[in-house]
Amino acid sequence: MKKTIIIALLVVAIVASMAIVFAGCDTGSDFKIGAIYINSQNDTSGYTFAHHSAIKKAMQELNLKDNQLVIVDNVAEEYNAVSTAVDTLVGSGCDLIIGISFGYIDAMADKAVEYPNVIFSHATGYMSNDTNFNNYFGRIYQARYLAGVAAGLKSLETGNNKLGYVSAYTTAYAETASGINAFAMGAQAVNPDAVLYVEELKSWGNQTQERALAESLIESGCGIIAQHCDSAQPQIAAQEKGVFGCGYNSDMTTEAPDAHLTATVWHWDVYYKAAIEAAMQGPANFMEKMGKDYYTGLKEGLVGVSPITKNCAPNTQTAINNVTKLIVDGEWDVFSGVKLSIAKDGSVTMNDAALVDCKGNVIVEAGGASVDDGVIKGSMNYLVAGVVGEYDPTTTA
Amino acid sequence: MTKQVDYSLKHRSEPLFRVTKRDRMEKWKIALLYVGAVLVALIFGAILLAFLKVNPFEFYFDVFTIGLVGNAIPLKIISNFINSFVPLLITSLGLSLAFKMKFWNIGGEGQFIVGALVATSIGIGLGDKLNGFFLVMLMCLMGGVSAGIFGLITAVFKVKFGTSETLLTLMFNYIALYLLTFFAQNKLGWNILLDPNSDRPKFDQIPESARMWSMNLGGLTINTTLIIGIIIVVLLFLYYKYTKQGYEISVVGDSHNTAKYAGMNVSRIILRTVFLSAFIVGLAGAFKITSSSFSLSEAITDDVGWTGIVVAWLAQLSPFGILLVAFLLSVLQFGIASASASHTNLDANFADLLQGIILFVVLAVHFLINYRVVVNKDKLKAKKTAELKAQGFEIIDLTLSRNTATFDTKDNVTADKEKVSDGASETESGKAVTAASEGGKE
Repeated sequence: MKKTIIIALLVVAIVASMAIVFAGCDTGSDFKIGAIYINSQNDTSGYTFAHHSAIKKAMQELNLKDNQLVIVDNVAEEYNAVSTAVDTLVGSGCDLIIGISFGYIDAMADKAVEYPNVIFSHATGYMSNDTNFNNYFGRIYQARYLAGVAAGLKSLETGNNKLGYVSAYTTAYAETASGINAFAMGAQAVNPDAVLYVEELKSWGNQTQERALAESLIESGCGIIAQHCDSAQPQIAAQEKGVFGCGYNSDMTTEAPDAHLTATVWHWDVYYKAAIEAAMQGPANFMEKMGKDYYTGLKEGLVGVSPITKNCAPNTQTAINNVTKLIVDGEWDVFSGVKLSIAKDGSVTMNDAALVDCKGNVIVEAGGASVDDGVIKGSMNYLVAGVVGEYDPTTTA
Repeated sequence: MTKQVDYSLKHRSEPLFRVTKRDRMEKWKIALLYVGAVLVALIFGAILLAFLKVNPFEFYFDVFTIGLVGNAIPLKIISNFINSFVPLLITSLGLSLAFKMKFWNIGGEGQFIVGALVATSIGIGLGDKLNGFFLVMLMCLMGGVSAGIFGLITAVFKVKFGTSETLLTLMFNYIALYLLTFFAQNKLGWNILLDPNSDRPKFDQIPESARMWSMNLGGLTINTTLIIGIIIVVLLFLYYKYTKQGYEISVVGDSHNTAKYAGMNVSRIILRTVFLSAFIVGLAGAFKITSSSFSLSEAITDDVGWTGIVVAWLAQLSPFGILLVAFLLSVLQFGIASASASHTNLDANFADLLQGIILFVVLAVHFLINYRVVVNKDKLKAKKTAELKAQGFEIIDLTLSRNTATFDTKDNVTADKEKVSDGASETESGKAVTAASEGGKE
């Protein structure tokens, strides 16, 4: 009996090792993409999920195979960890290396010099070089404004002017400050009395805390919960407490079917498809096509809002379409000296009005040009009028 | 009479299972058991891998060759491996020093962070003012000393007020971590740790002059701190074996009173040893900054403060043992990470899972080598009797009657014992007989 088992095991071992050898012969296009993720590739929602599914989608559209993507995930924002991940990817033959988290910046910049034939593309950063390293990000604030419009219409319908916002950070990062501001301005374009209450998470994601902050906002009377954090917990809290909400990163209607209005989403595949296609023709072509700083928005389709749900107020779609058209046509942008006024039927009128922060400082004079540069370069460090953030208790309305 | 009462009381308080220290096993047996444990864990992992449609042989091959085979830049991979191995080695060595004295220093994370934080501050602050050699020396020395002082605080509380060092060192980890987070997020004029060129808060890199020199062996870059780590292994071995201080540590570890009786200054020994322990851990932090990370991060420790505890114990606090265990554990960690990169279905969470399974089984074997589980047969019998009773047998439990014979006379006990043989023979006939303790008196 024992002998039979041993022989059976040996046979299995031999067959398995032959399988390896044959699997190794599988070839195809030799272009390889390496990805470094902050969380797990098997996540089902959140930041890493959004990037991973976008890369997969782009690869599918370009007819690339699954094994042309090599992933190192759960990589902390630590120089040695990122360098090691890059070496692993370069060593396994990757031609394009994508890093999705801000803290990867220094290691990617250094490795781009070390491996001049490999293309490095870094999300949310600001560094680049002329030959093989760029960064990419987008005007997510434009989509936030649209979600704000949906929230504003809903607040008119419910008669509750208090809106809540669970944010990873507030003024520490332009990315979060611009999101809060755009959402508030979108809501105020519909409902001038709307006030946005912000709770700061002080990290990019923490499920328990995200939920706790959402619940505290709801308890203090907020009727709509928006968010800039990783999980769907704020929306789930809104669902349970019978209020409404706007998600982020992915359409959170499944998690909160009776609460969710619309989510601010990234269409990273727009970038990835273009980037992979360009990278397949070599670093020079990549840098020429994608640019050192890739920064697009609604117009190019990199950002947007998820389909509006049954929970939205009437005419939400009309209002969103009208604002989208203004932005896409380049007639108007969020952080300018022109304010939109949106009626209940969704019609939009433009008025010159100064952009004022919550301390009363004028950021842009009435009629002035957009200061979206502050978002791109990361210097926006104020919250606009009508936002109550815990960062400064003196502003409590 | 008295003797009997003692016996029964002891017997009553005994649990069903009891763990006792085992006699020393032969070395080859121990080695065989460990290898067996790893194999069992690997087989379990292989089953999981098969479910995930990953070829286990291929995967394990990548793990134990740390992903070198088929990699276009194997020398780089070796360098990276050394970079991840050295901090774990040095941290484990530092922790083991305190453990030897039975001072439960689980503050390795915090001490590592303090070492790294101070070293970075000096590197950035004095980068342009000092000669490279002195700068690196100063960074490492001050990193170690400040971590030593950070650890010393917990030791002072221990000797002055008898506070639990386990809790205190644990809590000090969070003090260090939140201090680091504060520096990471607040762009203030005096916060030289942050990169002035980034609008978004981001730790700055130390200048070139503050970087540890490295050796180049035919294309293979070797982290100099590896050599220092191995020197610490040897020094620690000599320290334990040939110095008075090393001897004092083990005496204090055995018993404070013995040490006191022998005229040792226990407080001083504790303070000195904890400082040294934290110093070495802090050194590991400073080394990591100056030799491989070059900038701070909230993830700078890579959990070595925790993993180091496991390493120190698996190695039974022996310096050379730590060298071996830290190496093997690093191979496992690094190998699994590389292997999961080349297998698309697997993410790093699976790597953690597999590593957890292996560690769990190895620790279980480690336990069984040092201890054995003794089953209290009497109690087991009692349990069985109860089961039989529940099934409708009429039962006279002799073992129970013996147990409860506490306050009976000596004669009664003997009488009970005689019944045991009766009971046994009658059970054979298919019907469980004998009387319960009360019945026995009837």
